[in-house]
Amino acid sequence: MTDADYFGLLGLERRWRLDRGALERSYLERSQASHPDGFIGQDSGVQRAAMERSSQLNQAHRTLRDPVLRAEYLVKLGGIDLDSSDPRTGAPRPTQDFLIEMIDLRERLAEGDVSAVREEIEARAEQSFAAGVAALDRGDVAVAARELVARRYFQRFLDEVDASEERRT
Amino acid sequence: MSKINLQDTGALFQIAEPTGPQAAPRAPGRGIGIDLGTTNSLVAIAPQGAAPRVLLDVEGRAILPSVVSYVGERVLVGAPAMAQQAEHPERVVSSVKRFMGRGASDIEFTHPYQLVGEGGVLRIAVGDEPRRQVSPVEVSAELLRALKQRAEAELGGPVDGAVITVPAYFDDAQRQATRDAGRIAGLKVYRLLAEPTAAALAYGLDRGERGVFAIYDLGGGTFDISVLRLHAGVFQVLATGGDSALGGDDFDRALARHLLARAGLAAPDRRQVEAARIAARALKERLSEADSARVSLASLGLVDLEVTRAEFEALIEPLAQRTIRACKAALKDAGHSPAELDGVVLVGGSTRVPRIRQLVEQVFGRPPLTDIDPDEVVAHGAAIQADILSGSERPGVTLLDVVPLSLGLETMGGIVEKIIPRNATIPISARQVFTNYSEQQTGMVIHVVQGERELARDNRSLARFELKGIPRLPPSMARVEVTFQLDADALLTVTARELMTGVKQSVEVKPTHGLSAEEVDRLVIESLDHAGEDYSARNLAEARVELGRVILAVRRALSEVGHIESLLPPDDRMAIETALREADAAMVAVSAIDDSEAAAAGLTRAREALERISEPFAARRMQRALSAGMAGKSLDEIEAALAEEGLDARRGGHSAALIQDDDEHGE
Repeated sequence: MTDADYFGLLGLERRWRLDRGALERSYLERSQASHPDGFIGQDSGVQRAAMERSSQLNQAHRTLRDPVLRAEYLVKLGGIDLDSSDPRTGAPRPTQDFLIEMIDLRERLAEGDVSAVREEIEARAEQSFAAGVAALDRGDVAVAARELVARRYFQRFLDEVDASEERRT
Repeated sequence: MSKINLQDTGALFQIAEPTGPQAAPRAPGRGIGIDLGTTNSLVAIAPQGAAPRVLLDVEGRAILPSVVSYVGERVLVGAPAMAQQAEHPERVVSSVKRFMGRGASDIEFTHPYQLVGEGGVLRIAVGDEPRRQVSPVEVSAELLRALKQRAEAELGGPVDGAVITVPAYFDDAQRQATRDAGRIAGLKVYRLLAEPTAAALAYGLDRGERGVFAIYDLGGGTFDISVLRLHAGVFQVLATGGDSALGGDDFDRALARHLLARAGLAAPDRRQVEAARIAARALKERLSEADSARVSLASLGLVDLEVTRAEFEALIEPLAQRTIRACKAALKDAGHSPAELDGVVLVGGSTRVPRIRQLVEQVFGRPPLTDIDPDEVVAHGAAIQADILSGSERPGVTLLDVVPLSLGLETMGGIVEKIIPRNATIPISARQVFTNYSEQQTGMVIHVVQGERELARDNRSLARFELKGIPRLPPSMARVEVTFQLDADALLTVTARELMTGVKQSVEVKPTHGLSAEEVDRLVIESLDHAGEDYSARNLAEARVELGRVILAVRRALSEVGHIESLLPPDDRMAIETALREADAAMVAVSAIDDSEAAAAGLTRAREALERISEPFAARRMQRALSAGMAGKSLDEIEAALAEEGLDARRGGHSAALIQDDDEHGE
């Protein structure tokens, strides 16, 4: 049992850079053709097929319109699932150096230099993301996976900083 | 109620090409649109592309009061039922919509009825001889039947099917109950349609509009806000939100309290409060036209009062502002600023209040569209959609609607793993793979919740069932895939199966009652109120789980291979044991820390330290497992060894596979 390739489903080329307008047009066109509303009164198998196809289209649209989800999805198509902990096909483990760096960042944050640390992490997240996308363009899935995992760490960190800042204000 | 189906999972994700939209018309022009309201209901038709019109009863009334009387032998519906209400309040059912899809324990508002059916289907006792009990679904069916008859008289023949509108905020159980009522009334329910979406349809099709529109729907008891994009032929709901415990009735109550206070009645009795409320409602309506009005409180034995519109507006201001906050949140979810909108549509009788119009105009920066009667616009939209679905030649429109509240599963530590986020376009499916925590684990509790809060206990429980007979496999080798499928009516089906073996699962379903609209709102509002608190609570729970997992993995590795010196030199071993002791201490210390943010930070520090110190040991074990594989070990053994190493590798993921173990980590 495999997912249909979201790019193929929407008739788009399988790569990170995409034309948002083309994505939206293709999604709406295909949704119109397969929405369950068009099959009312037909037999249940046909209705079910329409529901499944619409579900796929909605899921594909949701994934591909988001730059980060799109990149992570391309990595998944390349054989590495960032949401899995499987040692062969799951998210690559961060290196020890990376973990030490995260500890350092936390310490600096605890010392109170919030805005500078925040800016730095934001920049690092963007860098990792750009590096991940560049790796995808080269077809280097392993590097892309590593960079996107790093981006997740940084993003998670940013979310935590924001949440705690919000709480203080 | 959510359906759990474990036997028939294979077909769910087979991809089949639909044969193309319906070609042969079925019964064009014989579809009807029904606005099944809390207070009033309407039916409209728009046959074969005609402009929609609301149908009248034999006495020329469009509105059917949503009231059903069980006083006599014959059931009465509408105005005649209302006439019996004062005399037999317990046998005349009104506002039945508030009971739909709910259990007896969910009913917290006051009502004159005797409810029966503890824990099961809720019923209202409406007579003694013979003792009659009706479910809310049956009461709604009476209303639908009356409207269906009205339509049959108009059409001069049978109705083919109906589109019934529901509040955008109706959850799974409420939608299911509404669909059931339609079936009981003998209607083929083409589709349940969100009320604001219906309103947009009524406006959009009449005008051929394109662009982004907001629908502001303030009824007697509920408030809904939806943001839609209209393309040629497609209506796409971008976001929906609201407050299902806020409506014009609250304006009446606020004004009534004010009247009683001004009249100097400090401790009014129930009857006086009710009389004041009725007076307040009439006064409110007059103040929509005039700058000030006189209200008679003679029935309360009090002098008349002169009330200004400004006075009234000051009273309702906090309520009006609540709707504005919901509007802003929905716009944010939709990713649009007010200036980017192309129009805002007003729906519901309470939008006649001038202050509401004024505020909406301010927030959205343009005068709202009001030219369709706000009481009828929802029925108009339903009629248009029903006409399309009946197979008429009307230019088709596809409605892409959204699910109003997130669906998720409870995972370790009571945390909710969101499976389908709110405002996802429906139909949609999502899958989540769960894995076993130890070889001893052969069962798994799957708890489905709906809501926006981070912790399961703060959300509404939809269903709880147990997967049994998971094969004994090494840790994280069993793969249980749980699938959520939401159909185009936002009705949920949950399926599950074990992937490694395909072993047939036995399941125990313990259904819980559906979400109430009030509860839905409470959950959303609380999630806004408690966003910070929630985040910290989630963080703490996660930090605890993650540290526990790392400690366990390191301990297990130590006990299995810690004696092999090539893997673990004595110095490393000492360092790891020290780190383990510190991690244990952090776990104990955390319960003494009040600030959950500081507590989570302590746990995270301890985990990161333990990981850093044990990393070389882990790397050597990984290497060894790989070489062992080359020396002829079975693939399973390698995978088991590797899987163990990978247990904590998911930490960076925002929606990673989570491990649930009901034996060791149940509530």
